[in-house]
Amino acid sequence: MLNRTISPEVKQIDKIDFIKPQIFDISKDVKLFFMKEVPNETARLDLYFDAGTVNGDAGIASFVNGMLLSGTDEKTSTQINNEIDELGGFFESGVSNENAVITMYSLRDKVLPILKVMTNAIQNLVFHQHEVEELVNDRRQKFKTSMEKVSFIAQRAFQQRLFSESIYGRVTNESDFDSISTDSLKSFFKKNYLNGLTKVVVVGDLTQDEIDEIIDLIGSWASNTTTEFEKNIKNLKGYAHLVKDGAVQTAIRVGRMLFNKTHEDYNDFLILNTIFGDYFGSRLMSNIREDKGYTYGIGTMVAELHNVGYFIIATEVGKDVKDATLTEIQNEITRLQTELVGDDELNLVKNYLMGQLLKSADGPYSMTDLYMSVEPYGLDLDFYNTSIDSLNNITPERIQELAVKYLNWNDMTVVSAG
Amino acid sequence: MIHFERFKLDNGLTVLFHKDVTTPLAVVNTLYDVGARDESEEKTGFAHLFEHLMFGGSVNIPDFDAPLQMAGGESNAFTSNDITNYYNVLPAKNLETALWLESDRMLSLGFTPKSLEVQRNVVIEEFKQRYLNQPYGDVWLKLRPLAYHVHPYKWATIGKVIKHIEDAKMEDVKAFFHKHYNPANAILCIAGNFEFEHIKTIVTKWYGDIPGRIKPARILPAEPEQEELREEIIERNVPTDAFYYAFKMSERRNEMYYMADVLSDALGRDKSSRLYVSLKKEQKLASEIGAYITGSLDNGLMVISGKLNDGVSFDTFDKALWKELKKLKEHPISDKELARLMIKMHTSKEFQDQGLLNRAMNLCQFELLGDANGINEEHEIYKAIKPIHIQETAIHILKPTNCSILKVKATQNAE
Repeated sequence: MLNRTISPEVKQIDKIDFIKPQIFDISKDVKLFFMKEVPNETARLDLYFDAGTVNGDAGIASFVNGMLLSGTDEKTSTQINNEIDELGGFFESGVSNENAVITMYSLRDKVLPILKVMTNAIQNLVFHQHEVEELVNDRRQKFKTSMEKVSFIAQRAFQQRLFSESIYGRVTNESDFDSISTDSLKSFFKKNYLNGLTKVVVVGDLTQDEIDEIIDLIGSWASNTTTEFEKNIKNLKGYAHLVKDGAVQTAIRVGRMLFNKTHEDYNDFLILNTIFGDYFGSRLMSNIREDKGYTYGIGTMVAELHNVGYFIIATEVGKDVKDATLTEIQNEITRLQTELVGDDELNLVKNYLMGQLLKSADGPYSMTDLYMSVEPYGLDLDFYNTSIDSLNNITPERIQELAVKYLNWNDMTVVSAG
Repeated sequence: MIHFERFKLDNGLTVLFHKDVTTPLAVVNTLYDVGARDESEEKTGFAHLFEHLMFGGSVNIPDFDAPLQMAGGESNAFTSNDITNYYNVLPAKNLETALWLESDRMLSLGFTPKSLEVQRNVVIEEFKQRYLNQPYGDVWLKLRPLAYHVHPYKWATIGKVIKHIEDAKMEDVKAFFHKHYNPANAILCIAGNFEFEHIKTIVTKWYGDIPGRIKPARILPAEPEQEELREEIIERNVPTDAFYYAFKMSERRNEMYYMADVLSDALGRDKSSRLYVSLKKEQKLASEIGAYITGSLDNGLMVISGKLNDGVSFDTFDKALWKELKKLKEHPISDKELARLMIKMHTSKEFQDQGLLNRAMNLCQFELLGDANGINEEHEIYKAIKPIHIQETAIHILKPTNCSILKVKATQNAE
């Protein structure tokens, strides 16, 4: 008779195979990372540019990014998009604080034809006035819609207060849409794209000749300068509430400046972060969702910038339970600081994180992303072996020590909107 | 080509196995043939609320997630108007842990009052977060009853009103479980680097003694043919006027479904699509525009939606849109345009098929349609589509008497 009350024996993951992409020089400082081991017809190409929001005046980086396929003297934006679509390609572009990324998904035999269309469009981009106006108009509408969302309002205010005096704390205002000049877009584009390529990532079963051809196509964009990102950023401590009339939920953001992967406490802190709020069974989810039913979800994360990082707690809760939620978050912090985590919970989180790491290393796309998330910090895949060591050696005392050191309520930037 | 094997247990459970030797992970996907369309109109939102309760402990195991996390895995689920789908991803060597957990909640739930009370609140917050506290968030709560008058697609998966969720009783929960959660109403797919014989043995071990019950009959009221243009205007505190044109289309198991899918791509999938180019780029009437199909198993919807540019009236837009739709009815699309749509579809399919979880989910969904091998046959169905089919489909679908229009008017723009 089957005993259904007992779990089948849980087997430990004893090793994870990490595979490093091949690395080619485009120039002295700019490299191409190539993951060839793809067992199907798909391919992905990413181009990274030194064209993040900190590189220009408010809004500029994002506008230029949105204009990349907007037309040349020979071709309209519609013709360019049509050519890419006829090759079955998907084009995406996006901007973060510190860089801009263009991503192209396609079948492997279409990578070069699509890249040729794309490089031609970017190299000869002219910033037609009607395209600029259309984009400004679209972005203004989107911004107004976003400002109706409590999550956006809270996140925006949180960013301002977390990064306080730093350029990272600058946010877009509606008035920024009025002051966009085509000249400023052009000069940003020339400096940060045509001379701003910082790395290239290729995933797909391409030949060496094809890789060489990619390098020939985009090599002239290689950046020969290095942006110095800010190092010392301090968050503005304390609480702020933003009123949003008619909202039935309140968005909450709590966090502080912290470190990135280069810091000695990083790996251990990530275990604390998981226990606190980064999986379905976390302390915050168990309390605030699964016990109290205040929210559909609450989570924490460690986000990283080139020189620093930050910790954030984010949730949307019923508007009547905002204060109760803030109190429970504080209670959970106090519990982590004053009580040792039990062995069962710690073992569970260790196993869960090993499973997550195994998943992050599964398949060529995940594997490449795993590598690319340590590469900017001068680290190698060996970083993940130190993560595994950290999981093997972590103790309840160490978790408590880190909670005391990094999770003091008085150090936090706290924002709510609703 | 996605390979799979199939077997059936005596209690009616259908099991699919998909072998992938390249991954150290396993996927256990369970599709239950129950969705929001199976709810009674007085108790909507129930299939989805029930999905939450499935994580609240089963008859022999007090907590679903913790043992799975202990085995290095994770789990989630989704509910649609048609189905409820649960999935686990975990290290392959711990496959049995997922089977132990999934089979126990198929056997019976814990039915604790605490779980019901908390998940009612969680789902109410989900209702607020996704449908009430977002600009344009309640559009589907309005559009569904406009397009459907009889068929249960007239309510959204989250439910018609919060009150239905507040009123959910334990006896309702138990009755729902008893009716819909049984082996004959489920399709299980296991994917990973295993031997088929081993899968047979351990699935029989964990699922074999679950009592078989009859698969519930589904008798849904058929939506009558629509005979008039329907239109509703709602005023909301949003910054921009928005439009939603919903056209009735065929059910999933029909070749017209595939033609409508391609037609919607021609209209508004990409930046080279007809509506994007004409109404946004050339005429500058819309700031956003796209077209897609709901993908429903019963008669679905093809939706054209987007936002107006400031200063453009709904009427101006409306005339320009119908003019554009007329072109598709009067002239077949070119071979070149069709080829463009097909290669985009091919790229998407290749990317979807490379995820283990996607493969397992899709195998279950095709099995529900009649045969898991549909996953390998679909490409041929699309390839057989000719320009004339797209034209015929446009003539059939894109007519005012088959259309329900929802306009969201920004309060500031209201007269």
